Amino acid sequence: MSILEYNGGAVVAMLGKNCVAVASDLRYGIKNTTVGCQMRKAYPIHQKCLLGMAGLATDVQTFLEKMKFRVNMYKLREDRDIKPSSFGNMVSSALYENRFGPMFLEPVIAGLEGDDNTPFISSTDLIGAQCFTDNFVVVGTASEALYGMCESLWKPEMEPEDLFEVISQCLMASVDRDCNSGWGGIVYILTPDKLITKELKGRQD
Amino acid sequence: MSLSFLDKSYNAFHDDQSFEEANSNTLTLYKEPGLVVPPTFNNAGFRDQSHEIAKKFAKGTTTLGFVFNKGIVIAVDSRASMGNYISSQNVKKVIEINPYLLGTMAGGAADCQFWERYLGMQCRLYELRNKRRITVSAASKLLVNIMYSYKGYGLSMGTMVAGWDHTGPNLFMVDNDGTRLKGNRFSVGSGSMFAYGVLDSGYRPDLTEEQACELGRRAIYHATHRDSMSGGIINVYLIREDGWHKISSTDMDHLHWNYVEDKKKEIADRNKL
Amino acid sequence: MSNLNEENYEEERGGFVFDNVTRNMFMETKGYQAPIAMKTGTTIAGVIFKGGVVLGADTRATNGPIVADKNCSKIHFIAPNVYCCGAGTAADTENSTALISSKLALHRYSTGRQTRVVTAMTLLKRMLFKYQGHVSAALVLGGVDLDGSHLYTIYPHGSTDKLPFVTMGSGSLAAMAIFEERFKDDMSEEEAKSLVHAGISAGIFNDLGSGSNVDLCVIRKDSVEYLRGYDQPNERNYRTSYVIPRGTTATLSSTEEVLSKQLIINELDDRMEVAP
Repeated sequence: MSILEYNGGAVVAMLGKNCVAVASDLRYGIKNTTVGCQMRKAYPIHQKCLLGMAGLATDVQTFLEKMKFRVNMYKLREDRDIKPSSFGNMVSSALYENRFGPMFLEPVIAGLEGDDNTPFISSTDLIGAQCFTDNFVVVGTASEALYGMCESLWKPEMEPEDLFEVISQCLMASVDRDCNSGWGGIVYILTPDKLITKELKGRQD
Repeated sequence: MSLSFLDKSYNAFHDDQSFEEANSNTLTLYKEPGLVVPPTFNNAGFRDQSHEIAKKFAKGTTTLGFVFNKGIVIAVDSRASMGNYISSQNVKKVIEINPYLLGTMAGGAADCQFWERYLGMQCRLYELRNKRRITVSAASKLLVNIMYSYKGYGLSMGTMVAGWDHTGPNLFMVDNDGTRLKGNRFSVGSGSMFAYGVLDSGYRPDLTEEQACELGRRAIYHATHRDSMSGGIINVYLIREDGWHKISSTDMDHLHWNYVEDKKKEIADRNKL
Repeated sequence: MSNLNEENYEEERGGFVFDNVTRNMFMETKGYQAPIAMKTGTTIAGVIFKGGVVLGADTRATNGPIVADKNCSKIHFIAPNVYCCGAGTAADTENSTALISSKLALHRYSTGRQTRVVTAMTLLKRMLFKYQGHVSAALVLGGVDLDGSHLYTIYPHGSTDKLPFVTMGSGSLAAMAIFEERFKDDMSEEEAKSLVHAGISAGIFNDLGSGSNVDLCVIRKDSVEYLRGYDQPNERNYRTSYVIPRGTTATLSSTEEVLSKQLIINELDDRMEVAP
């Protein structure tokens, strides 16, 4: 078993028309035992940036605290919020520091950038190799199924309401084919003027 | 010039024991495995991946069976997985051997299906030869003898054989190590520990049929909720003197939300008091 | 002795961190295998022509059997007159080229001279040699400086070659077959572009690790042309249009947080920004 599969979990981020969405499942498990079903795997970094992480829970939590620290330091120094693309670089370099003793996690970054709120998404592997796309990024134990779902359901220029349906259906369909993720889901939709959070009703097995 | 060695063996067969004797002793078939099977999984062409592949054949499961005053309840989940991939949510894990005998499936799907069907055939032959139904004890013994003869060859099977015979309700657990246990309560599979927790705390011999079926269903439900390798649909069977009956087939997810509603009502009622 | 207060806010910076190595090795002994990092199973190549260098790359990044990125950029900026194609572990090629690029920028600021290709090559090989092949970057470095056009390959262990036409990555054999057949000295720019294009295409179509598009980068004496998506022979031409009616997905709760309007005051125009 790969250590990335120890706790289970799946995260997906998608680009819409002037909006982005991040969705994750809610399971927290230890190998094949489900311990909790309230664990969100996406975290708002500031008003216009979200960080989603899948992988080993201990590393995810440690890394999140480290990133919060760095983002706060950035804000103190710069007196403004970090751009999502710059945050992507920050995450990437923090992971590459640990090239020879990696943190076992894979992040996705989504946000709205600049005065015109340009949507941005990216993901990296566990040692910080960035991947920029203009459609969707997926990480976690259900990533293979998520790739398939997103390839068929995603389309360009989706409004926030449609983006929600597509990302939710992609997530729920994918986690239903993966043992170690699921137990409900959470979706964040970020538009220029609001952050919508929706909890999804999902299978409990 | 004739094929004398054939005659010889043919004669030997008839001289030494009667035809009936030879056939009723099914064990003769299994003094040695019928197929040429290498003592370990064949690695040729697979290198070290073969180990992983062999592991992927095994699937997570929760199955349970218990005897109570009115009969036997058998309850199972329906998930089949290959590694962490869910390959099916609609597997029939109760094998209906004959109208009075049920077998459950845990471990390798192919091993369980093949050998329990083979057991069904042997049980039918027994009936034809002896003009009476085979006992659960004898049927489970047939199965465990096969398992023992293949011990160490890599079969994967954890099964319960349950049924009603002239001695009453009987429940046996048989696995690929060659274990055969008679008992009142069994749970087999990756989710068995969760099922045992519910089963043991709710079990009483004097349960009504309805209560017993609900206990089995609930035990499997909790196992499917906690064990990631179990899930899907919960099938419940009840065995009485007149044979087995399929009681219910319920999606675990519907059950969950019903139970959640029930609990909410319960709390609301308690607060009213 | 360092200032305690400073230590409290600032983490140590620079270089690799080996904090998790012992833990990870311990976990491996417990049977948890280390996960694989993203690779660029790649075709990269370069050719010298009469007036400069043409570099080429495919755009597939893989994670095991999965195509992780269908359009990644493998031709990295090193200096205004030097570019570098990377194959191997994606994070390693990305970061080693970025590190050397930054060192060269500082070097240019300090000397006020154009970067020489050989300098970039030396810095890269020194770094890779230092890490004894553990930084798995296989590079094709090309550029034009005051000494003319240069084309190098740099192997993960730190060895280098200087050749008029080179290929690297898992598709290197396919591309080299084309180059061996068609390469000539002193080709025109168009001939060189078409040769590199053919080589990379051979990699895209014949090597499973390579795929998607052809990127080219033409470096001449006084100009650079970065041709991202020079050829797109694998455009997706199938797409079913599923329409999921709004309200399909069952939700348990929904909350909205209205974002506060931020007043942005542009006092300084050149504030620090890490992203390009």
